[in-house]
Amino acid sequence: MPVSTPTLQALVPALPLAAAILTMLLGRRLGHRAHLPAVFGIAGAAVAAVMLLLSTHAIATHEIASHGADAGHGDPHSAAAAFQTAKRFDSPATLWHWATIDEAIVPSPAATPPGTPLSAPNAGGSAAAIPFSIPIQLRLDPLTATMLALVTCVGLLVAIYSIGYMSHDPDYARFFSLVALFVFSMTMLVSATNFLVVYVFWEAVGACSYLLIGFWFRKPEAARAAKKAFLVNRVGDFGLAIAVFLIWMTYGTLNFHDVTLADGSLQPGVLGVTRLEEPGRIVGGAIGTVICLCLLLAACGKSAQAPLHVWLPDAMEGPTPASSLIHAATMVTAGIYLVARCAPLFEACPGALVAVSLVGAVTALLAGLIATVQNDLKRVLAYSTISQLGYMFVSLGTGTLLGFTAAIFHLVTHAFFKALLFMGAGSVMHSMGGVIDMRRFGGLRRIMPITAATFLVGSLALAGVPPFAGFFSKDEILASLHAKAFPGGHDGHHEPSTVATVLQPVGFSARLAANPTNTPATNWLDGLDRPTVWRAIWWMAILTAGLTAFYTFRAVFMTFSGPERVPEEAAGHDHAHGGSGPHESPPVMTIPLCILAAASAVSGWWLFSTHALSDFLAVTPSLAAPAVAATAVPHAFHVDIAIQGTLAAAIGIAVAAIGHLGRRSDGPQMERFLGPLEWLFANRFFIDQLYSAFVVKPLEALAFVAAAFDRFVIDGTVDAVGRLPVAAGSLVRGLQSGLVQRYALAGASGVLLIVLALFWRLRG
Amino acid sequence: MTLPEILTPGRLLAGAVTAAAISLWLLLPRGRESGVARWLGILLGIAALAGLACAGRRLGGLGEEAVFLTVSLVAVVSGAATVLTRSPVYSAIWFAMCLLGVAGVLLVLGAQFLGVATIVVYAGAILVMFLFVLMLAQPAGLAPYDRVSNEPFLSAVTAAVLLGLLTLSIGRLSAEPAAPLAAEPAVTVAADPLAENHVARLGAELFGRHLVSVEAAGVLLLVALIGSIAVVSRSESAGLEDAR
Amino acid sequence: MMPATLLGMLAAAGMPADGLTVNGLLVGAMLFALGLVGILTRRNLIVMFLCAELMLQGVSVSLVAWSRHHGDWGGQMLVIFVLTVAACEAAIALVLVLGAFARTGRLDSQAWQSLREDNLPRAVDHALPPIDAAAASWPKLTPAGVLPETDEDELLEREHV
Repeated sequence: MPVSTPTLQALVPALPLAAAILTMLLGRRLGHRAHLPAVFGIAGAAVAAVMLLLSTHAIATHEIASHGADAGHGDPHSAAAAFQTAKRFDSPATLWHWATIDEAIVPSPAATPPGTPLSAPNAGGSAAAIPFSIPIQLRLDPLTATMLALVTCVGLLVAIYSIGYMSHDPDYARFFSLVALFVFSMTMLVSATNFLVVYVFWEAVGACSYLLIGFWFRKPEAARAAKKAFLVNRVGDFGLAIAVFLIWMTYGTLNFHDVTLADGSLQPGVLGVTRLEEPGRIVGGAIGTVICLCLLLAACGKSAQAPLHVWLPDAMEGPTPASSLIHAATMVTAGIYLVARCAPLFEACPGALVAVSLVGAVTALLAGLIATVQNDLKRVLAYSTISQLGYMFVSLGTGTLLGFTAAIFHLVTHAFFKALLFMGAGSVMHSMGGVIDMRRFGGLRRIMPITAATFLVGSLALAGVPPFAGFFSKDEILASLHAKAFPGGHDGHHEPSTVATVLQPVGFSARLAANPTNTPATNWLDGLDRPTVWRAIWWMAILTAGLTAFYTFRAVFMTFSGPERVPEEAAGHDHAHGGSGPHESPPVMTIPLCILAAASAVSGWWLFSTHALSDFLAVTPSLAAPAVAATAVPHAFHVDIAIQGTLAAAIGIAVAAIGHLGRRSDGPQMERFLGPLEWLFANRFFIDQLYSAFVVKPLEALAFVAAAFDRFVIDGTVDAVGRLPVAAGSLVRGLQSGLVQRYALAGASGVLLIVLALFWRLRG
Repeated sequence: MTLPEILTPGRLLAGAVTAAAISLWLLLPRGRESGVARWLGILLGIAALAGLACAGRRLGGLGEEAVFLTVSLVAVVSGAATVLTRSPVYSAIWFAMCLLGVAGVLLVLGAQFLGVATIVVYAGAILVMFLFVLMLAQPAGLAPYDRVSNEPFLSAVTAAVLLGLLTLSIGRLSAEPAAPLAAEPAVTVAADPLAENHVARLGAELFGRHLVSVEAAGVLLLVALIGSIAVVSRSESAGLEDAR
Repeated sequence: MMPATLLGMLAAAGMPADGLTVNGLLVGAMLFALGLVGILTRRNLIVMFLCAELMLQGVSVSLVAWSRHHGDWGGQMLVIFVLTVAACEAAIALVLVLGAFARTGRLDSQAWQSLREDNLPRAVDHALPPIDAAAASWPKLTPAGVLPETDEDELLEREHV
């Protein structure tokens, strides 16, 4: 290979960063060529990322085969072989060391014995002074490689699409610079191998998203939406910060990987293979659960899960390419990535895993219900994104290898079809002169055939219709969930019901049972890990599948079927550049649509049938950990689960067809159909109003009180202090006579007094 | 109780300082003239001088003592008269007298050149300039502002206390043996007022070790010359404008 | 017994300094104090400068005494430079005094008090008793032409024009 792997790893974030800086500096000069640095930078990053993906895949395949052979097992995909392979990926490329401290006091440099209470001083051993630094390193393992390829490829398509979409915008350069910066932040986030670096780029991603949502900051709604997204994300970031602190106090390191210190000793990373090898070194109990719940809070903020989902629908005020970039493929998947990366931590806390699933299921259902009554095409997609992310959380929460890989699988396919749908919506919006309300147009399939066709493919994928991508990924999620909900299985294969039983062979459950740090709250949370609860989650997932199909096809039918209608804005929109009336979008926009449509159509089947993705991901250190790997099951296609999922989708599509196929899109079908529920859904379950009443209004009152306090008490005190010298000065103002001899007298006698005082002291 | 027991050195100094303060206050112009106050002031002034003279030392010989006493009395008394006289013209003439006394003191102290230079520079140049200006500016000589003083009491007390402190500290310092300032003093000053080659050695010192300072002083004089001419021309033009 | 030397008794112990040195320092201190009184009290600008020169003389005498005390030329050298600086100072100061006189017709240091605090009344001398000296008889001229316009503020500052 002509370019070494570390160079490629560095190139992936470096090229977009360079493009961002170049565009920022030269934006005005570049004019209508401002997209060139960003497009080529992200393209270079995408090429590098794909090369990395291929090389990682080659290494994984080769090594797992050799390790499988070494171990003497017939099955090359055994857990032991996967773990041996995973060790290969535990050495990141170092860029530089930041915040180097020669003798840092580290709370617990040695491995913390499991279950040590946090309140104990220097939990787990004496504090020691060891060299400390925050290494800025790039890791490369299957999970990272997958995310890198995904982020850069989708980013590239979005950048190309934006050339057409943003062509009339006066801030053309700023947009591309932000997109490149966002790709940089996101690639660094998934490459980081230290919790602190993750935190830094977690914030950077949030900042980019703020800038992109508020791109049209002169529009009040956009500014408000950007602020809302930022503030809601802060709540999640707070969770991540607490989690980082707790991890530092508990593990004494923030590195993912093992580090060999200067004196030759090995410092096990939080997610390093040394720690993963002995499951007892992952802290469970109350501390572990709190860490995991804080990580979950962070993931909820970034991935728009209930109750922090409120920012994502409003974020549709941003430019559509930004919506598809942030909300389809990249930023919202940061939460999924984080949970998957920290899988071993979650694995030690069954309660936290149930919480992940419950949050996901509730979000999926809630967002699905709200999406059914939205009339804004982009908002339907936004709620659909929230719903699908909830699906991924449900899958992560099952805590099985299948669940984790299925979540990433769904993440990948969802990135394809949701980016496709967003871009399709953007194409419609572009053609309709900025109108996105589905009641105002209809029957567009003749006007924009390519957009309609690709949108339909995306919708089929989203609805989970076989053989499109969404069907397979959703099926894997349902399969992992089914195994938890109906232990004992349908195929007769043994499916452990709880994590504790999974870990029996490695002596984990005894420790969990006797863990003295479990509090009543965590015990209650752990107690939720039982089939009844999983069954409830299962039915919520199935219901959501039906809802997904319904609202997706409601949108498709309202937009593309029925009598042809276009809003008046569309007619005037095109005169500027010679066209007349609504039109199909330019090729620069439709080509990405076609590519994504192809990916949406075949990627699911391909990845599912070859197990390429799941086998590949299984050698990620976090997922190859014995605790996770022990939950692996043979690949299988469960016909009964597939039928249930497909049935739900079919019912949803059918209901949508009854309501909307071939009708005018501005009819009152939904109101008649849902009745009072429509009012509830249309108001989004009043969650925004609840936030307003219980968070925003009290805070505003507090701010008002604080402002009053500041103005009257603090300012008053300061003013009083300021008046004090004036008052004192007015007493002696009479001395300021303007007579030079009085000044001289004052000076002379003053000096004399000082000399007298000195004499007085020296006398003794 | 005998006189020496009452007149301890500390009490003597305190008394002399008090007498000096009161005398100065009485003699300073305060608006109305009073013969009693004047004579009382003169008497107190003599007492203060006598008291302060007690702080002095006996010198080697009686003749030497007489010479020093004469010149220093001339200097101090005419200096006091310079300050206390109402008319500025008399002030200037008393100042010239004072300069003569100071020149004598300098001579006695062994600084022949400086003694002569003081007379030449001050009496010969600066004082004449003063008188010239005085004649120009104030022919009347009995202006109201010459008949009153600014804060006479406080000023007199300040100066008297200063004098007391200086006397006290001179006494302290003299107890310590004199230490050569430089590691190797270039030339030792001859105690004899009529020492051989005094001026030659002073010149050698001035144009050897202090050559740069002499050059700087020369530049300073030039700058002062040019500066005063510049200010004069400007203020005269301003005065002309005022006159118009 | 009258103490021959006050300082001889004030001094705790040690070799008494040369008598001339101490006496010279005393004379210098007296001249300096007298000059200080003058510069603080006398209102006539010219007398103020005479007093400043008096202070300089005091300092010169002290410097020469110290020079004698230490057996070093430094003090005398410094006096030469004091003379130089005094000459410069006198030249510039007299020019300034002349300028001031041209503006106000007075040599009064109290004529300038515009740097005083706002709302503070102007310092004014108390009424003085008349001088007994024979009143000067100035020639009386016949008024001719018109009276020039007078500036109230300037009248305050000016004694005669």
